Amino acid sequence: MSSTVKSFLFALVTAVVCSFLLTAASAGLKGFQLENIEVDKKKNILKAVGLLESADRLAKEAIQDIYSNKIRGLWVTPEGEILDTDTPAETSLPVYLYVRDGNVAAYILPVNTRGLWGKIFGYLALESDGSTVSGFTVYKHSETPGLGGEIEKRWFQSNFKGKKILDRSGNLVSISIAKGSIPASFPEEQLPHYVDGISGATLTGRFLTAGLKRVLLDYEPISIKFRSRMTIEIKEE
Amino acid sequence: MKLTKTKHFRAFSVPLLQENPISRQMLGICSALAVTVQLKTAIVMGLSLTFVLSFSNLTISLMRHIIPRNIRMIVELSVIASLVIIADEVLRAFVYDISKQLSVFVGLIITNCIVMGRAETYALGNPPGLSFMDGLGNGAGYGSVLISVAFIRELLGSGKLLGYQVIPSRIYDWGYQDMGFMLLAPAAFIIIGLLVWLQNWLTRDR
Repeated sequence: MSSTVKSFLFALVTAVVCSFLLTAASAGLKGFQLENIEVDKKKNILKAVGLLESADRLAKEAIQDIYSNKIRGLWVTPEGEILDTDTPAETSLPVYLYVRDGNVAAYILPVNTRGLWGKIFGYLALESDGSTVSGFTVYKHSETPGLGGEIEKRWFQSNFKGKKILDRSGNLVSISIAKGSIPASFPEEQLPHYVDGISGATLTGRFLTAGLKRVLLDYEPISIKFRSRMTIEIKEE
Repeated sequence: MKLTKTKHFRAFSVPLLQENPISRQMLGICSALAVTVQLKTAIVMGLSLTFVLSFSNLTISLMRHIIPRNIRMIVELSVIASLVIIADEVLRAFVYDISKQLSVFVGLIITNCIVMGRAETYALGNPPGLSFMDGLGNGAGYGSVLISVAFIRELLGSGKLLGYQVIPSRIYDWGYQDMGFMLLAPAAFIIIGLLVWLQNWLTRDR
């Protein structure tokens, strides 16, 4: 057998053996990983409304417990009507409600937007006035660690708390990420709509700004209902 | 023969200090800068690298007589890459939070010069048992530097160890502040430099 053929055969066998091992590892661990991802999403929903600090060390069960006590997931139509069924149509939007003492204290919108290198997934929570941001979290992204990747850090996310998505006359302006830190000379009336950006990650900030605006526009009909003090019936589960 | 004199023990102990991959051979610095902000991530990273390194050394040493010379690096790389992916999957299944913090750095073990370097220079020329011990030793050498650096950075940078507050609040009341600089990558660079100096000074020829 010539050495070229031998090399090819060896490469082939190596590739097959390696791929079998990887398939086995991936298939065998999938269940655990999916559960972790599920808990991580719930954790981020809780973080967005301030029910959980990132430093908190809680067992999976504890997180599931808080989540099922405080959060209700539901579907709404693009016109802002709440769907009664658990089987959403293709255009339906998911919303999570934070229920405190029988009232809706905040509602949480899933953020799913383009980043620089891949998609950014997270949650944006708004208080029940339909205007004040209660929190923002990111649970999955592919931005550069240390630059755009800072969007998952607390220092960046905590800036969102208390910002307003409406200007004084009640128009939707969304939240923008500034280029680097907000300078001292920044116009004061714009301050409630801007958060500190990440130096070296201007593009990530730009994509996220656009993404947040799109999400808020999509959910604007629901936000309008919140602004007009709509009462939402909370189904007991 | 005493345990410390056996070949296997020497294969393990030499890379721990005398030939430490980070402080002596200056390999694997990149990840050492990135994952040493906290002890926890440093420990997990050290363990992952030790796992990958010892088993890649073992596998490659077992196959060393049958690997065709002309494709040996590709074969080494596929063995290493498979082990890294397995390590990454395991981390994601059992310590999800840490694996998120380590982000790309577990995947980047594939390109860590230590792993490829040991496969090329050691595993290809030595029997499996010795190669495995060499992998363990180099992994432990790498991990011990990471842990020392992370210990200093987490303690001085955030006043914690393994996430638990260790510097009492009374000291903060007296005006002590955490060193924010320790949380940045250049701090790791400086600490590694000081460790190298310390090691050279301790082991210098008198």
